[in-house]
Amino acid sequence: MDQGIKSRPRYQPFRIDPAGTQHLIVTDQPGPPPGIGAAELWTIAPHPGGQSFPTPAALMASLPGHLARQGPGFRLYAIGTEPFIWDVAFIATQAGLTEGELFLHHAGSLARRVHCIHCKTNTDRVTTNIVTCAGCGANLLVRDHFSRRLRAFMGVQVDAETPGILPPIETLYP
Amino acid sequence: MTQSARLHVRVAGIEPLNATLRRITLQHAEGALLPASAPGAHIQLELRGDTRSWRNAYSLVSPPGTRTAYSIIVRKVPQGRGGSLYLHERLAIGQTLTILPPVNLFPIAGLARKHLMLAAGIGVTPFLSTRAALAETPFELHLRCRAADQAAFQTLLAPWPHAHIHAGPDFNPTDLLRHQPLGTHLYLCGPTGFMQAAEAAARALGWPAARIHQEHFGAPTGGRAFDAVLARTGRTIHVAQDQTLLEALEAADIDAPSLCRGGACGECRLPLLAGTPDHRDHFLSESEHATSIMPCVSRSHGEAITIDI
Repeated sequence: MDQGIKSRPRYQPFRIDPAGTQHLIVTDQPGPPPGIGAAELWTIAPHPGGQSFPTPAALMASLPGHLARQGPGFRLYAIGTEPFIWDVAFIATQAGLTEGELFLHHAGSLARRVHCIHCKTNTDRVTTNIVTCAGCGANLLVRDHFSRRLRAFMGVQVDAETPGILPPIETLYP
Repeated sequence: MTQSARLHVRVAGIEPLNATLRRITLQHAEGALLPASAPGAHIQLELRGDTRSWRNAYSLVSPPGTRTAYSIIVRKVPQGRGGSLYLHERLAIGQTLTILPPVNLFPIAGLARKHLMLAAGIGVTPFLSTRAALAETPFELHLRCRAADQAAFQTLLAPWPHAHIHAGPDFNPTDLLRHQPLGTHLYLCGPTGFMQAAEAAARALGWPAARIHQEHFGAPTGGRAFDAVLARTGRTIHVAQDQTLLEALEAADIDAPSLCRGGACGECRLPLLAGTPDHRDHFLSESEHATSIMPCVSRSHGEAITIDI
């Protein structure tokens, strides 16, 4: 369903930036894409040659300290689901990374983090066009409107004028 | 830039800083307030000599937001095209000048975690107005200069407790560029050779383009004379050795746009229709050079070029 919204991020295919001198790849996928060369690798699932973390949150918690020790030439690549790569982007931006140093690549599930515009609660792992808000219980239409600041797609109550009458629920983001 | 944008100012002060540097202070000719300027901004001065005129760009060194006066610092360049000699030898207090209002092509990056500023010689001037805008953000300013200028620059940099002045030619920024925290923004201003070397060193260390900022004050150096054919009217104008194509257009009363007058901003670009251009700008890409020319610095290798104006 094309909602005609242009804020949806587009991602370039993964490649190592040859202008960089130090490369770190972080991913929530089972393994990295081919062609990572000598780059350092952080994963969730244990992977040969990589450093693994028990959860995405544990990986995120280790990032700021690592970034604080980097300098010019450092490049960070986040590969995975959209909530994961945008959480990484948030931490990286806080650490001072900018355009040309941070690369986001979507891989794996299309499941969305949905931000309820009414109660501001985020609902994670949303695969359907309509979702019940984890905060206020409203039936939310998942819009293609992605907020880089909130790192989530916007959810808007779909049955405000006709309570309980919903459009057909479909799995759009498997 | 159109006629209406011009401001009339009066020379209110001329203060020698050393044998080749002077600070010139300008106030509104009718006593009105001048437009506010941003940190890093420059103005264009229109100067009329006996046989020719110049339009030169100078960084404002007065504190940003000052509306009662603008100050600039001018280096006397005997082998230049004459504008700085005019400002050093002919300019008198009380004289009126026409200027174009401040434009800022060298802003401070608001999201920077640290500012690393590298200047050479008179290239320090665009930094002088930025001190207050840096606020709490860490910064480091390095200035390479001739020994003869050291004392004058030390005085100018008194509000910069962390300024490092390197008197002599041996300043190599590579180690500095290597050891900077993430989020550092790099600012370069100085002669072309200095800027190219510093930029190349930064790029080799992996600095992304988005964190490198440059102010080119390339005093256009002149070259062989040539003719420019103006396709829209069929007119031909002559560009003398010590004149830029832009100046020749202006001397012919053609209202050509311009901002930085140093080959950096792209404002003056014109479609190029024929001829062998001698491109000297820092703005257009290789492919754009096939069809465009920046008349503020670029010239012709051949006898004539044709431009669409």
